[in-house]
Amino acid sequence: MMALDIKNLSLRINGSALFAPLSLRVEPGTVTSVIGASGAGKSSLLNYLCGILPPEISAEGSVRLGSEDLSELPPQSRGLGRLFQDPLLFPHLDVAGNLLFGLRAGNSRRVRRERVAAALASVGLDGFAERDPATLSGGQQARVALLRVLLAEPRALLLDEPFRSLDDDNRRLVRELVFAEAKQRELPTLLVTHDQEDVIAAGGAVIRLQTPRQRDTANA
Amino acid sequence: MRASGQKLLLVLLLVFPLARPAHTQSDDWHAVVAEARGQTVYFNAWGGDLAINRYVEWAAMRLRDEYSIELQHVRVTDIAETVSRIIAERSAGRDRGGSVDLVWINGENFAALKSAGLLYGPWARQLPNAAYINWAGNPTTLIDGSLATEGYELPWGTAALTLFFDKTRVDGMPANPEDLLSWIEQHPGRFSYPQPPSFLGSAFLKQMLLALSDNKEPLYAPAGADFAALSSPLWHWLDRAHLSMWRSGRLFPHSGPAQRDLLAVGELDWMLSFNPAEASRAIRQDELHDNIGALQLDAGALANSHFLAIPYNSAATAGARVVANFLVSPEAQARKADERYWGDPTVLDIASLDSQERAYFDALESGPATPPSGERFLAEPHASWTALLEQAWLKRYVR
Amino acid sequence: MAGLVAALWVGLDAPALSRILATPGIGLSVASSLWTGSIATACALLLAHLAIALAVSGNWQRRLNAMTLPLLAMPHLAIGIGLALVLAPSGVLLRVFSPWATGFELPPDWLIVNDPAGLSLLVGLVLKETGFLVMALGAALGQVPSARLQMQSATLGYGPLKSWLTTVAPALQQQIRLPLAAVFVFGISNVEMAIPLGPDLPPTFSVLLWRWFTDPDPTIHAQAYAGTLLLFVLGIAAIVAAAVLGRLVRRLLRISAESGTRRHTERPVRRLIGIVLAAGFTLGLLSIVAIGLRAFSGQWRFPTLLPDRSSLDVWTDVAALSASVAGTTLALAAATALLGVALVLPAAEGCKQSANTRRQVGAWLFLPLLLPQMTFLFGVQVLLIRLRIDGTFVAVLWSHLIFALPYLWGLLAPARAAIDPRFDQVAATLGASPGRRWLTVTAPLLARPTLLALALAASVSVALYLPTLFAGAGRIATAASEAAAAAGSGNLRLAAAHAILLAVIPLCIFAIAYIAGAMLFRQRRGVPR
Repeated sequence: MMALDIKNLSLRINGSALFAPLSLRVEPGTVTSVIGASGAGKSSLLNYLCGILPPEISAEGSVRLGSEDLSELPPQSRGLGRLFQDPLLFPHLDVAGNLLFGLRAGNSRRVRRERVAAALASVGLDGFAERDPATLSGGQQARVALLRVLLAEPRALLLDEPFRSLDDDNRRLVRELVFAEAKQRELPTLLVTHDQEDVIAAGGAVIRLQTPRQRDTANA
Repeated sequence: MRASGQKLLLVLLLVFPLARPAHTQSDDWHAVVAEARGQTVYFNAWGGDLAINRYVEWAAMRLRDEYSIELQHVRVTDIAETVSRIIAERSAGRDRGGSVDLVWINGENFAALKSAGLLYGPWARQLPNAAYINWAGNPTTLIDGSLATEGYELPWGTAALTLFFDKTRVDGMPANPEDLLSWIEQHPGRFSYPQPPSFLGSAFLKQMLLALSDNKEPLYAPAGADFAALSSPLWHWLDRAHLSMWRSGRLFPHSGPAQRDLLAVGELDWMLSFNPAEASRAIRQDELHDNIGALQLDAGALANSHFLAIPYNSAATAGARVVANFLVSPEAQARKADERYWGDPTVLDIASLDSQERAYFDALESGPATPPSGERFLAEPHASWTALLEQAWLKRYVR
Repeated sequence: MAGLVAALWVGLDAPALSRILATPGIGLSVASSLWTGSIATACALLLAHLAIALAVSGNWQRRLNAMTLPLLAMPHLAIGIGLALVLAPSGVLLRVFSPWATGFELPPDWLIVNDPAGLSLLVGLVLKETGFLVMALGAALGQVPSARLQMQSATLGYGPLKSWLTTVAPALQQQIRLPLAAVFVFGISNVEMAIPLGPDLPPTFSVLLWRWFTDPDPTIHAQAYAGTLLLFVLGIAAIVAAAVLGRLVRRLLRISAESGTRRHTERPVRRLIGIVLAAGFTLGLLSIVAIGLRAFSGQWRFPTLLPDRSSLDVWTDVAALSASVAGTTLALAAATALLGVALVLPAAEGCKQSANTRRQVGAWLFLPLLLPQMTFLFGVQVLLIRLRIDGTFVAVLWSHLIFALPYLWGLLAPARAAIDPRFDQVAATLGASPGRRWLTVTAPLLARPTLLALALAASVSVALYLPTLFAGAGRIATAASEAAAAAGSGNLRLAAAHAILLAVIPLCIFAIAYIAGAMLFRQRRGVPR
């Protein structure tokens, strides 16, 4: 697996920068945490990486995965898996349908079904294939959402406060599961969070996003 | 039916001289005119032709000025709609204040209303201007289809079925069924006729049946068990013609004006009309190119009159009678016969008019595509034939 | 409701039913109604989904709205008449290529318009109903978190089109079940498009029924009454079929979702769909142009592309004709719009807090759109004759209101509910009375949706043909009734002269509403559109 490399990135809305130019490198299998006050541009950073920045925000700088420049690619070709704050399971598909949607094409219907069943079993959700996602608990939904991302075979993981809406027990369990999977697959992982515990559990580098003005006052 | 009609004609001829002094309008008529003042007359008349609509507008204007009557032209696609409306009103118990005051009508629609007792009257011959009508010379003014009008409807115009064609495409005059058929077969896709059971389409069936029948006498008797045998020449002719007709006989124009439209854009080389002046008028109004010829079949043109009738539940019978009287006045009839406006032959006996009134008609000139006034007219077959021909046509050609 | 019961009661006549079954070609008639209605609805639904998907994911939804508006505003009758003038062998389309490319000096003897398979009717229905469903889908967009769903599937490696179709479209499909059923019912029961375009010999069942209704023979009349019953059954079948179609679409999308296939590039697919949409749009525009050409032309022989002459005579003819019905048409449209809004606004006020009540009221108001028009209107007619108000302006106005109210409700009730209740509370704490609060706070915030609602109701009224015919007793002549009568007799030139009004009035109304809406509160970004 390849490292995720951001160089001299700055995002501007109406000409004013959201944060000071940012450079960071996430090695395969490690988790880098990005923290910062709300409005500091954490979500915009992830949107930029995914290629779904709204038109009013302009970007400078580059993002590479290994040697490949991602900024030229359409969102669907970047190979970045993203977990959102909400699990966002598609309400019109059952659990298996959601996972099949994530799973790369190929193989017979039967084989695909088996892979989905195995994936569910691996996170302790045997027999959940036919369930309506709306009937799952928060922790279960979060695990399904993770599986859906992983089945799409991403080359890096972007975590957008994915544990925030879970209760304490679930948060710990899901967090461990996500980090273990990321490590096992050697995915470079970028975690955006407010939560100090997340940062500690991630164990990697920590980047604090600051607006340029905040930094000025800090320097003064 | 026919016998009673003839009897009626006789009676009429006897009383005719008594009815002559038209200008000494009776007190009764003055009372009618007075009653009509301020009335609104709903005139349900076919509204599918610009020229006719404009003619009715002109009449409405004149009636407003002269009699303070508001004539409302209710434009209908097929007068059958109005007939069904009157029937519906009767079943709803609306025996007064009905929605229709005057209808433009003839044939089976008249028969339907008259036989159901849904007409006001008799009134037609009491009108002052009825005296000018050519009752004696034109039997179709007294017998509509095969039903005696008995004063329940007033003749408004006379018609003779005429075929118009593109002179650049049709050589000679295929004025008999055999010649017409061979033209059709030599020019596939260029002939059609309005779809039965439309008024004109059914008329074409009757016209061809009459032209194809050597012995026409049985056609004037009620159709019976011999219908199939008597009508078989028609079906043979149609079967062959359809093969080479426009859209191979799988689609037909829905009305006369629709067919005129098709002739105008070049899809067809022929059209039919009951009005011999129709093409001339259309040319004058730039609806048709001017290379149009006309013919009536050698066997004789199917002729009929069209009429005005008043429904039994009309809310304005006085107004309706005054309107009808105006519509058969020499002035209105002359304008109606004028190809610049409508071009529909008059029902009046021009010889009976005084010189001033006759001057209206003397000023008329007929256009390039109007056939010389026909000599041989064929009366409509017995009314029972129409429905049977229509049904047989539908059974045979709607699959 | 009373109307429906009356219709069914009169319709229950066994001999008449058996006569219907003995009508020549009746089987084909019913079959062609079902065939054209269902295929057209299915195609329109598919195209509408693709159009919305393409437009939203390609960021040109506004352009799509601008494209569908004229088609939406154009009554079925006008589009039908226009298409007949475009597609016929002597029509505009073939004139463009004749004689230089085709060699045709005379129009070919092709059975295109009024073809027995109903293909030209299909084209017309698809054209119109795609526009309607695009509008319905667009309105449902607000109910679906489309942006988030799209974002999620983009990060799973799907292109915008497939993301849309597999994640957003199924949710939208759920939202438009009622409009889809209405389209299906209209498809199998309409006369407005079937008269100018539909098959003939035999015609579709609805046209057959329409002809029976206008027949003089009382026995045939009884047949028409009984026919409304059969039409009602077909309508129920259509509603069921619409539900099945909705399920089918969702199922297909689901299979596509679960296959996991991702396209490298969506460009060819997008281009293909774009071409189909553009072709449909062009055809729609062309048919409007054709109406104008035909209405104002004198003689116009094939293959000349533009009429040889457009004499002043013809212009004055058309003007005279139009003037006589334009007044009634406009008066009805204005009365329908104003009265409709006046009824709906207070009702919307009352339901502003309960989404449930709003949905229920909406469903009741929508009911007439789910019934075949002739079944429903026959009942209305019986009622009106009993009340002795048939053939009056008021009766026609009432029938127009019935058909305008569901649209007004669909537009105004959510708009009213969307206004933040705290505006009203703030005004109250500032000491304003309820009346003043409504006038100074609520009304201005509703001004733009109200303008649009007025335009929509007016254009619905202009387009209504059967209600005018049934309630108006043939006495109330509007542009629609005149155009239908002319098209029914096959007189396309006359039909075009009336269809001009049909086309021009709604376009003007929408243009005025659009411009007025844009002028209002130009400086205020926060006022709802």
